[in-house]
This record gives sequence, structure tokens and C-alpha cells, in this order.
Amino acid sequence: MKYPRRSRRRLALAIVMAFAIVAVFSIKLIDIQIVRADALNKDSQTTRATSVVTYAPRGQILDTNGIVLADSVTRFDITVSPRLIKPTFDVVDSNDKKKTITVQAAAAEIANITKQDPASILQAITDNPSSDFAIVTKAVDTAAMRKVRDLHIPWVYFQNHPVRTYPDGSVAGNLIGFVGTDGPQNGIETIENKCLASTNGSSTYERGADGVQIPGSTITTKEARPGGAVTLTVDQDLQWFAQQAIAEQATAIGAQSATAIVVRVKDAALLALADWPSVDPNDVNATAVDHPDQLGSKAFTDYYEPGSTMKALTAATLIDTGKATPTDPVTVPSAWTSPEGHTIHDATGHPVEHLTLTGVLQQSSNVGISQFGVRVPQKTRFDYLTKFGLGQKTAVDFQGESSRGITSLPWNDVSKYDISYGQGIAVSAVQLASAYQALANGGVKLPLKLVQSCTAADGTVSDIPSNVGTRVVSEQTSKTVVNMLESVVTGGELSKTLTIPGYRVAAKSGTAEVAENGRYTGNRIVSVVGIAPAEDPQYIVLVTYTKPAIMKSSAAAAPTFHKIMSEVLTKYRVTPSTTPSTNPSTNW
Amino acid sequence: MTTNLAYALPARAPREVQEHPLHVEIVSTRSQRRARPRLVYALVAVAGLFLILVTQLLLSILLSNGAYQISGLQGTHKELSRDQQTLTESLQVLESPQNLAGRAQQLGMVPNSGSQGWLRLSDGKVLHDPAAAPSGSVLGTDSSTLIPNSLITPGVMAKGAPAGTGTSGSAGSGAAGTDASGSDASGFGASGGAAGAPAGGSGKPAVPSTSGALPSPVTH
Repeated sequence: MKYPRRSRRRLALAIVMAFAIVAVFSIKLIDIQIVRADALNKDSQTTRATSVVTYAPRGQILDTNGIVLADSVTRFDITVSPRLIKPTFDVVDSNDKKKTITVQAAAAEIANITKQDPASILQAITDNPSSDFAIVTKAVDTAAMRKVRDLHIPWVYFQNHPVRTYPDGSVAGNLIGFVGTDGPQNGIETIENKCLASTNGSSTYERGADGVQIPGSTITTKEARPGGAVTLTVDQDLQWFAQQAIAEQATAIGAQSATAIVVRVKDAALLALADWPSVDPNDVNATAVDHPDQLGSKAFTDYYEPGSTMKALTAATLIDTGKATPTDPVTVPSAWTSPEGHTIHDATGHPVEHLTLTGVLQQSSNVGISQFGVRVPQKTRFDYLTKFGLGQKTAVDFQGESSRGITSLPWNDVSKYDISYGQGIAVSAVQLASAYQALANGGVKLPLKLVQSCTAADGTVSDIPSNVGTRVVSEQTSKTVVNMLESVVTGGELSKTLTIPGYRVAAKSGTAEVAENGRYTGNRIVSVVGIAPAEDPQYIVLVTYTKPAIMKSSAAAAPTFHKIMSEVLTKYRVTPSTTPSTNPSTNW
Repeated sequence: MTTNLAYALPARAPREVQEHPLHVEIVSTRSQRRARPRLVYALVAVAGLFLILVTQLLLSILLSNGAYQISGLQGTHKELSRDQQTLTESLQVLESPQNLAGRAQQLGMVPNSGSQGWLRLSDGKVLHDPAAAPSGSVLGTDSSTLIPNSLITPGVMAKGAPAGTGTSGSAGSGAAGTDASGSDASGFGASGGAAGAPAGGSGKPAVPSTSGALPSPVTH
């Protein structure tokens, strides 16, 4: 189209002006978007984007019924930013009146809530005035945090600081362990740390000037992963009962320490493993300062000569190899000199007795079992003891277990007799319990279990222990030996204390001498181990007292055994025995 | 008639010079009319555009408003979670065996001595002579729990002690002494010598049997 000249000029002018404006805008745009982009971005990010640590709690430790034995709880550290502290600040109180508060007054108010010394708070605040961070109080609970928050002090901040708590105190404290500032230090907390540990996550979000999160701006850079829960085989109530029982008796007889172990025969699960004294993981220093040896579990870590409880294993070896039968006769004086010249004594003096192998167990005769014991070659005895699990760590592999070996072959002229009645060989209480589990379980030794499973936060269950058994003695041998041990309950010295009405109980007592500096001393380790019901073994209880001051015989351990075994049979609703206890004849 | 005389023709009104040509209206043809976009559509389009822009504005306002709501609710959620945690923590301590034993003792109960008996349902006979539990306590000789729990402070024990028990937790803990060591925390006062159960096994049933029902046991 042809425009008249005037309008063409106007058009040109309009176009030029339009371009000019666009150019100005473009320059401004380029300046902001490209030239100054980085600087501006950085500025805005720091004021807009916030990174947040998402805390994930450490996993719980539960007993077999799901009762919480260890848990993580929220606590807060009260921190200040000394850089931002001005001598006074204003606060509007509930009546809408403005008050001016000085730093000292604020510190005093905080001290009032956290029960600290106001001077120490002021010290923490003023220590380094240019720093951005100073801790005033560690680990206050939620109520205190809220009270401090309500003071509206502008330079006070709170940091999440999860803390481990053990609601049942020293119940199972020997097993659970505890956590220190650097991480887990003992027990299940350490052993199962892979299951329990949590990883904190982080995410960033953008917020407006008033601190409200801009919707849709959260980016999770790392997922928080809570720790998994560890379930133990231990029953919290039974554990408490056992701990209380051994504590009462141990204080009564003046023992240095005591243990009680309850094992379920059919799957070798530890239902209770009590140590006395036991650490309270909430208050580790109460034990750690004076008695660091009591921080763990002596049932696992203390090795001692077991004494007469070993006789049942010797009898099992004899019967399984066919070298003796339950009614084999032997003549037993109260002191006997071996062909090699070593004299063996029975625990108490007595006239010469005519005992069978069963009688030897019932009367717990050292002389009798020594005479029987050497019928089996040493190598065979050694192998049987190894198969029973002595000389190796148990399947639990707890902290402090050592694979201290069985007395090495060849056994000298003293040991070859002494080992048959449990002196001259060192075992731990759990090893003995595990050996008896094999004996009671038809001769099949199952791996001893303390940890039942680990349940991760997403529900996957792992760490289930193996249930593969190894045969130690034949089923017939197992039945025979347990039957022989019934004679200890029906007719032995401790018969009255060990009998539990309604059930057939098999038991063996032990009074072992403690060797120190190469000599046997007057100290004793007294124990009783028992199996019930004898016709279909389901539970084993082993009670041990170390170095009692008074009552240095296994008569000290028998009442505790009775108490704990009765509780176990009642608690687990074990059907009473329908036949009376029988046992092979004890005399000839 | 025709003459040769000149005569004026009848005058005519002076004709207005027609400055405009004949009024010609250019009207669009029907097809052109049909082809022209109607105003209504344009109005609708623009109105629609405005509507969309306004809706977008409203939505973004609502969104920002929602953001504030979310922020508020998240804050509430956090505080409630903290409350739940605190309560769970207290509950776990209250469920601990030491606390339960202490409260039972405050009520006058005694721990079972381990004596057992059997009740035969067919004739109501009590077998094996169970003995009544003697007055006992789960406390040791220094009146502190044998199995300590430093989370059970005197405050926890005193809360909810039944009215009328003269020795509530605070008294007992006084005896137990030092909070600092913690291992002696929580004396729960054994409320007096426990009301020992009266001796068992009287010869006749204490509760009369109703005929046809289970026989009453021969015990108190």
C-alpha cells in the first residue's frame, strides 16, 4: 500500500521508538539475567533457601514380646548466637505490655528453667562474642524447651539432640549395653549397631521473607533412614524375675556376683540371662567408675572351673561311647588314690559306698566319676567336650566371649581325673548352659540365640539366627542321662529344695573350688543346673553364685533354681508331668 | 404550437448543485457479511482471557494461603508429635518392672515367695501345701531397689501413690539417699510391714459351694 509521506514518517518514528524501548529493556534484562546473575542468585538463595536436617531416630531394642528395652527420645540443646546478642531486648508479655530484658535477666530465666547456675550460662554466652554458635545447655526435654521458647529470647536457638533411654533401667542392662558420646559402647547396642543405626537425611526448601515455606519448593536431597528394631529372645518379665531372685540371694550370702540363665530347649533361645550386679544403662557412671568389670555380662565373659555340673557331661560321654551303663557298679570311698598317685576327695566324708553311675551323679561323688571317667580315652573325651561346645565361643558371639580352649591334650595325671568332675577345665556359664541344651534336646546341639531378628524401618526382617543343629550324643543317651539326673532331685542331698510339685525335674548341683595363683583357695563357685520337665525337656535353668561369703555349697543356689524354674514352668503354662519321677537304681 | 417568437421557457427552480454524487452506499454482500467476524466472539475471547488470568491470580492467592495453612499445621503436627513422644517416654518408665513392683508394694502387696500349690478342680482340693507369702519386699536391706532404674525418680513414684499410704515414694527415697549416684534411686517405701496374707489351709471351704457348680477350694 502506498502511504502518504506524512504517515510514513509517523510510522517510522513509531517503529524507532518501539525498538528503543525494547532495547532499553533488553539491556536491563541482559544485565540482570546474565551479567549479575550469579551474584544475585547467591544472594537470593541464602535468603530464600534453607537446608534442613531430617532426623531419623536410632532403632529400638525390644524383648521377645515387643516391650521396649531401649529407645531414642527427643531432647534439645539450647544454643545461642553470641554475635547477635545485644545488651537488652524487648519482649511483649501476655498483657501486651512491652518489657525490656537484659542479657543477665534472660540468662537467669533460662537457668531457672534448666536448673543450671546462671553464672555458667553467662559464661557460655560471653565466652566468644564473635562466634555464631555456643551451647548453653545440652539435652533438655521438650517441656523445658517449650518454657525457654516462650521467653522469646531472640538470640536463643534449639538444636535437636536425640538421646538414648532405657525405660527398664538395669533389667537386661548386661545384655543391652549402652551408648556413649561417640556411639555405642557395649552389648547389643554395639553388636547390632548395623541394624540399629540411623542415617539423617537432608532436604532444602525455599521460604518467603516471613519464613513460610514456598509451596512446591521442597527438594529432598537425602532420605532419612530410621534405624531398625532389634528383637531379642529375652522375656523382660522373666529377666526381671531372675535378676531380682539372684540379687536377693546373692546379697544374703555375700556373693561377689551371680548369674542365672534360662534356655528354651527346643530352639536354644535365651529367655533370660541375668547378671548381678548389672549396669543401669541410664546411669553408666554409677558402675563404670568403681566396677568397670560389671559393665558387661559375666555370664559370657567370666571363665571358671564349673565343678560337679560337668559330671553329667562325663556321664553322657560314658554312656554314648558304651563304656558304662546307668547301673554300672563302683565302690566309692570318700578319698581315693589313683594308680598314678593323685588323691581325689569327695566333698564330704562318708563310709565306703556301693554306688552305680546314677548313684555317683546323685551323690555327686568325685571319686566315683573319676573312676568312671578314665574308662574313655582322653581324645574321645576331648572330642565330646568340643562337640558339647566347650572351648569355643557360643553361637551368640557376645562381646567379651573368648574362645579359650579346653585344657589341651594330653591331660596330665591330675587333670585326667579332675576334668571328669569339672576342675582343671574352664568354661563360661553360657557354654555350660549351651552344653546342657544339647544334652536335653535329644542330643542335638542348636546354636544359642540371643537376637531373634532385626526389623528394618521398611519392614524387612533380617538377622534371623540359624537353627541348624549338630548331633552330640544319641537320643537314647540324652534320655538316659536326663533320667539319671532325676535321681538328684528325688533322692539327693538337695532333694527337698529342688523338688517342684507337679513336675519331673532333673538337676545337677556343683560346688567348684576357685583357683588363684595356681592354688585352690577356700572360695567357691556354687551352681545348680536343671532341666524340666524331665520326660520331655523344655527349659533349662542354670544359677551360679561366685565366691559367696557364707553358705559355700550349692545349697545356696538350690532355692534360687527352684524359684526361677517354678516361675518358668508357670509362666509358660507347661503341662504337669503325668508320671512320677523314676530313675535307675543308685546303689548296688 | 410553434411560433417564431422567443419566449422564455418556464423557469425552473435553480437546481442545487449536487456536490455529492448520487448517494451510493456500499453495502457488503451477503458473503462478505458472513465472512466478517462477529463482535460477540471477540468479546467472548477477551473476556475468556481475562477470566483465565483472574482465575490464575485467584489460584495463586489460594495456593499461597494454603502454604500458610500448611506451615501452621506442620507446626501443630510437630508439637503434637513431641507431646506424643514425651507421653510415650513417661509410659515406658511407668511400665517398667521396678515401678510396677513399687506401686504394688505401696498397695500392700508382697512378692510371691515361690511357694506353689495345685488346685484340683474335680473336688476343690488344694495340693502340695502352698504357703502364704511372708511379708517381703523387692527392696534390699538399704531400702533401695536391688535392680536399680535411675529413671524412676521419687517424683515418678509419688505421682499416683494411693491416698492414705503414709510412706509414699518421697519418704522411701529419702532413705535411699543420693540422687547423684543414681544406683540407689527410687526407694519406694514399703508401706509398713506388708499386710501378710493370713495362714492358709483351713479345713473347710471358706466360701460355700453352690450345688452343681465347681466345688470351692479348701483355702481362704
